Amino acid sequence: MSKKYIITICDGTGCIQKDNAAIRKILEQQLKEHNLTNDVRVNLSGCLGMCDKGPIVVINPGYTIYGNVTTNDIPEIVEEHIVKGKPLARLAIQEDHLYNRFFRIFGDAKFFGKQMRIALRNCGIIDPENIDDYLSLRGYEALAKVLTDMTPKQVIEEVKLSGLRGRGGAGFPTGVKWQITARAGSPNSPRSASDEKYVICNADEGDPGAFMDRSAIEGDPHTVLEGMIIGGYAIGAKQGIVYIRAEYPLAVRRLEKAIADAREHGFLGKNILGSDFSFDIDIRLGAGAFVCGEETALIRSIEGGRGMPRPRPPYPSVEGLFGKPTLINNVETWANIPVVILDSGKWFSTVGTERSKGTKVFALAGMVVNTGLIEVPMGTTLREIIYDIGGGIPNNKEFKAVQTGGPSGGCLPAKYLDTPVDYESLAKAGSIMGSGGMIVIDHDSCMVDIAKYFLEFTQNESCGKCTPCREGTKRMLDILIKITEGKGEMYDIENLERLGNMIKKASLCGLGQSAPNPVLSTILNFREEYEEHVKDKKCRAGVCKQLLTYEITDKCVGCGACKKVCPVVAITGTTKAKHIIDQNKCIKCGACFSKCKFDAIIKK
Amino acid sequence: MAKPTDIIKKKRAEAVSRIIGKGYLSSKRVYVGMATCEIAAGSKEVMEVFKNAVTKGGLTDVYLSQKGCAGRCNLEPTVEVIEVGKNPVRYGKINPEKAQQIIDKHLKKGEVIKEWVID
Ligand SMILES: Cc1cc2nc3c(=O)[nH]c(=O)nc-3n(C[C@H](O)[C@H](O)[C@H](O)COP(=O)(O)O)c2cc1C
Ligand code: SF4
Ligand code: FES
Repeated sequence: MSKKYIITICDGTGCIQKDNAAIRKILEQQLKEHNLTNDVRVNLSGCLGMCDKGPIVVINPGYTIYGNVTTNDIPEIVEEHIVKGKPLARLAIQEDHLYNRFFRIFGDAKFFGKQMRIALRNCGIIDPENIDDYLSLRGYEALAKVLTDMTPKQVIEEVKLSGLRGRGGAGFPTGVKWQITARAGSPNSPRSASDEKYVICNADEGDPGAFMDRSAIEGDPHTVLEGMIIGGYAIGAKQGIVYIRAEYPLAVRRLEKAIADAREHGFLGKNILGSDFSFDIDIRLGAGAFVCGEETALIRSIEGGRGMPRPRPPYPSVEGLFGKPTLINNVETWANIPVVILDSGKWFSTVGTERSKGTKVFALAGMVVNTGLIEVPMGTTLREIIYDIGGGIPNNKEFKAVQTGGPSGGCLPAKYLDTPVDYESLAKAGSIMGSGGMIVIDHDSCMVDIAKYFLEFTQNESCGKCTPCREGTKRMLDILIKITEGKGEMYDIENLERLGNMIKKASLCGLGQSAPNPVLSTILNFREEYEEHVKDKKCRAGVCKQLLTYEITDKCVGCGACKKVCPVVAITGTTKAKHIIDQNKCIKCGACFSKCKFDAIIKK
Repeated sequence: MAKPTDIIKKKRAEAVSRIIGKGYLSSKRVYVGMATCEIAAGSKEVMEVFKNAVTKGGLTDVYLSQKGCAGRCNLEPTVEVIEVGKNPVRYGKINPEKAQQIIDKHLKKGEVIKEWVID
């Protein structure tokens, strides 16, 4: 026997219950008897996600999984598999699926319990800079399968069958997009009769606070490349481009290395894996404008022009880069493709809801205990994400709202906590799925201020091409500033609604069409907060500075500390007597409030 | 001519043997998270400590590797120790000093440092 093996016994709750300890004992005995203790290592793992088939034993190399193992089976496994090198077909289970690989390492952690990892299946598990790691986990096998056994048409059918929809925001059915692009440019299509086509990976990721795509590329760049090569094969393209922002240097470096390694192995370049299909991928760096994530602006930017959207149709699928049919998909969309091919479109379509299949990656941020990157099956509720995975609100504070979809999305209050995350349900509740930003908000935040924050962002990022977006967002922002400064009137709220709806209808691209969403959804769900700002000149969260008053109470001992720190000399009083703040002079900087050791200054 | 599926099978077997050649079968494997977020939290320095220990510090039979972000942003940098015959241990919020202690206590003496373990 020359080969060495690692035998992993699942030690998750499910398998412990089925007495994996006995299996371990017998196994170790057997290895001793065969004098194999130096050649075979026995490891334990967390739950492998196959509890119904437990106890589970995995033998590597080879990733052979044995299920329903009894102590009586062990001698046979050792004899046949380890000594003779012949895996036991009788006990082996066909579970060499790509999804949920993290279970081997993370399965038992609560944080991962409700998660399911398809796009991020290798993230946090493999060394992203080592192509061998990817290859060992069936990397590029989907590509090989496609090149060996499937016609481009069959690939497209498989993707259609999976029900996968674009993860970049709009949720367009991926298979349909591939089909349109594959058909475009053929002799019976009126436009662009040339056979040149392009594949683009959209890694612009401009939403503030979003880092899903960055982590996906940094954690597992090859899966994105493999997806793109398969896409190229399906539509008949020879060239792919990853458009990624220059602010992601590590992701860019790992992509560059991945592309070089893939070329060396013959996964990119001429005659891939000995077939007659040739395809290569280049990287284009974006300067990080939000609008450059919009597909037509992105294409314009690759062509060397200024990143400004143009009216659609024609869609990029028909007339894209350099006027040629172009298949553009988001990073996460691409990362799903190898799984769709190897684990099958039919399997993929069993995950998720009626109309939203698969999983979605979210960047969970804000007021939750476990901030971070998560991937959940579509249909998981907001409550499960925030409380079960996110661990709830820190310091036992109360949930106020959750913002999804970043600057294009909306804020949902507590009554929507049981909304399942899928494209339709989130839209019905008044927000959007978006690309995966999810910010949890507690009662220390002011909803008007949050709306203002997002609008400031979009207003800044508007490319200026069309007036409703350029001017309209500016006017809306002016009104919001007025309200947060306590100068708002009741008609301002109606004006915001009117302007918002108009901008949504009249803007050219998705940026303008969605920019008013954070404002409109907060007015819809938190109207009373807007009215308080306007009528009572109060901000209940104490965030809008201009609406605050600082007052000194009877707790004051007259130490004079506040008087010394006030930058505008608004505080008067003699030593050892209660001091007073002159409200007309006060600029609400809060310096005195943080200085006072006796809690004698209150914020109202 | 060989089919793409045959070529990939061969490549996979070669990759696996290269990984094993690099010491994957060592009794202990240590993974340090190295994504932008982890590096910002200080994982590079942590990695240095482990590297030094392996190259100079007499830490033998350890396979050291990096990995991407697993999503535990609030607990970064993360370090994972996988040992023969034991459950994997994941440490969170590790700095260079803690890394040194993991080397001294966990890797050399087999004592898991419970306070830093992520559950
Ligand atoms: C203002 C704006 C910004 C966008 N930013 C991104 C982005 O950062 N990443 C992305 O994949 N899609 C972004 N999109 C969506 C793209 O236009 C396009 O729909 C998407 O890349 C298609 O890929 P998918 O079908 O895989 O989602 C943006 C759209 C708009 C209007
Ligand atoms: S809606 Fe805004 S960002 Fe989009 S094209 Fe018009 S001005 Fe530019
Ligand atoms: S506990 Fe072993 S598979 Fe779940």
